[in-house]
Amino acid sequence: MIMSASWNQLFFQTTLLLVSCRHISTKTPGPTPAPLLPIGPLTNLVKTVEVRANESHTVELLERASVELVCKWAGNENKPQNVTGYWTKDGSEIKNSSVTVQLEKEQYVLKQMFTVLNETDLGNYSCVFGNEAKAEFILAVPQIGEKRDKPIIGYANDFMVIQCKIDDTKPVPTSWKWARMNGTEKEPIVAAAESRRYKIEIEERKTKLFFHKMTKADAGLYSCGAVYAIGTAYSQVELKIITFWEPLKLFIGILVEVIILVAAILIYERSQSGKQCTKENGPNPDQRNSMTQEENNDEEGGSAVRQRKV
Amino acid sequence: MAVGPRAAPDEADGPSRSMAEAETRSAGARGPDGGWGWVLVAALFVTNSLIFGVMRSMGIFFVEFVRYFEQSAQAISWISSLGLAALQFFSPLAAMLCNAYNPRVVMMVGGLLAGLGLMLASQATCLLHLYLSMGVLSGLGWGLIFTPMVSSVMASFTRHRTLAVGLGFCSIGLSSFAFNPLFQLMVELYGWRGALLILGGLNLNLVACGALVRPQQRSKEDEVDPGSGAPCAAGLQRLISYLQPQLLLERPFFTYSLAMSFINIGFFVPYFHLVAHSRQAGFSDYRAAFVMSAAGITDILGRVASGWFSDLGHFRLLHLASLWTALAGLFIILLPVSSLSGSYAALMAISLLYGFCAGALTSVVFAVVPLIVGVDRMLEALGLLQLIESGAGLLGAPLSGLLKDLTGNYMASFAVAGSFPILGTLTLATLPGFFSRADPPAPQRRSHHVKDKGLQSELEQINSLSHGAS
Repeated sequence: MIMSASWNQLFFQTTLLLVSCRHISTKTPGPTPAPLLPIGPLTNLVKTVEVRANESHTVELLERASVELVCKWAGNENKPQNVTGYWTKDGSEIKNSSVTVQLEKEQYVLKQMFTVLNETDLGNYSCVFGNEAKAEFILAVPQIGEKRDKPIIGYANDFMVIQCKIDDTKPVPTSWKWARMNGTEKEPIVAAAESRRYKIEIEERKTKLFFHKMTKADAGLYSCGAVYAIGTAYSQVELKIITFWEPLKLFIGILVEVIILVAAILIYERSQSGKQCTKENGPNPDQRNSMTQEENNDEEGGSAVRQRKV
Repeated sequence: MAVGPRAAPDEADGPSRSMAEAETRSAGARGPDGGWGWVLVAALFVTNSLIFGVMRSMGIFFVEFVRYFEQSAQAISWISSLGLAALQFFSPLAAMLCNAYNPRVVMMVGGLLAGLGLMLASQATCLLHLYLSMGVLSGLGWGLIFTPMVSSVMASFTRHRTLAVGLGFCSIGLSSFAFNPLFQLMVELYGWRGALLILGGLNLNLVACGALVRPQQRSKEDEVDPGSGAPCAAGLQRLISYLQPQLLLERPFFTYSLAMSFINIGFFVPYFHLVAHSRQAGFSDYRAAFVMSAAGITDILGRVASGWFSDLGHFRLLHLASLWTALAGLFIILLPVSSLSGSYAALMAISLLYGFCAGALTSVVFAVVPLIVGVDRMLEALGLLQLIESGAGLLGAPLSGLLKDLTGNYMASFAVAGSFPILGTLTLATLPGFFSRADPPAPQRRSHHVKDKGLQSELEQINSLSHGAS
């Protein structure tokens, strides 16, 4: 689809006019029959989603549903009476979805009812108006909001917990599952089998994967999946295992710096006060006596005078 | 000024001359100023950044702790509360130990303990370990070094005392700016365990700061309990005498500590609640946080500016303290009022002013202590003040939180919080001699005592020598 600059301008102006348009109520039945025949009783979830051209909208689905997608387009400079509209899924055109759209009230409206029965029915659905305008609907399960893009650092022989949480505003998944990514393959983690290494805790909206005692072999990508009736949402996190030697190197460097600094301070002071006896520790009477001795040495005039006097 | 014999060069007019000289020295007119003192200011700068900069940046570790230990944020926040409480609680102990032993050693040991606490925390396997190591042990270490360090700096200056204190304390704001991203980086590279270990190493630099304090410096103002030529082992009574608890019974100090308690109750409330209040007033997260940062900047400026200005000597330090405190209280009360109008500019302006006054009052309230209790008892007074302030500080935040829960917004809690510093100002006004134009002579009871004793030993010495000669 290639949009011309002039179409953009016109679209913007007409969008302002169309802002007053209202939502179609969900009770309106779809005019065109669904391409797939429903199998068995379908949940009564009929969602109607309406977008303007060139917009993208995410539809969250938990279970099997019938979804009606509506596209509205204001047209370009010359408004032909009819325009061909069709639907694509994930880029490729859906068969038998092409219809002729009439110009009604200065806009073209393209509607289609889709049934979503399993995970393969989810995806990117787009409506296309005769190679000129396009709008996108993303049908997907609720995504896990908290994404941790920085790797988690764990220590060998330490215990660790990785957590996946779904937002409070989103619906509760039916279950969770964990897997370890081996390249592009997912190796599921089953806690019961290797209970000495892992433990999985599931709590409605969040799940935790415990490592009892980590080893270097545990490093890698882990993925948690929130399972809904219609599909699974994934989130990945990287676990890095290091030994204590890594920070210890830096720590020893700092320790050496402190020792050098303290030594330098003490040596400098010793060289400055060469003639005075230095006392680092000492009970009080000694301190006081040596203190007075120092003061005497400091004030050469005073002590000399005293001696002369006495 | 403390050691008697030194002050008497001439036998004939020995008594009167020594008295006069001792008094001029104690009045501070020709007291120490600068020289090694500036090195100590640098040490105080580093000390404050390592103690309070770390405390203020703990938030980054807290996120990790909540995740790892599966505890609530409130339980985790007790770690830094414990650290601060331990610092303040052990301050009188620091004063006692510095009197009993070499203060340099006490401070170096404090630095060592502080570093050790953090190093042990990196090995923690439960929350209790964190409380004990990062909270109590590090807090103890910090307490052993903080009050003596402030005291040493103040003892090294007379004319530039407030400026020195202001400079030493401005590191707190600066370091929390620098440490936040630094800690974030350390946690990303090494996890929280490695980061704590490295932080422990950084805290060991406090040992170097403590090493900079020269024992000669401290002994000028502080002397050992002169009562008896007691043996090395300090009995319990002697230890307690190091604490100078009778300070509490003296009216000036008692009044001052009461005023400081009031000030502390209200002082920290904006730091806890300003961001939440800004958000409630309708400003975005980013803008709310920015208000806090801006107040932090004026805080730093306020400390240094107030220190410089106070040392110019145009006004009495006590009057300046009252001024900044009253203004800070006023601005705290105005904070929610300014955001009522919905104007971000008004909120920002009041916050900046509050930050400046809060910083300004910090420099002055420390520097005013030696004027109230005398330079020789400054260390003990500071220790006791820290202890008293810890209780007051603990009271402030929960009280304002309670008020907010009761009334639903922050108006009442800020109003009450702001009225406490104003109450503190009024309490300060009851100090003896508040309304006089010049500072009253600082109490010199102890040196008086020693001066007499010193005089006595001097006379004895002269007698014995003359006996020997003849």
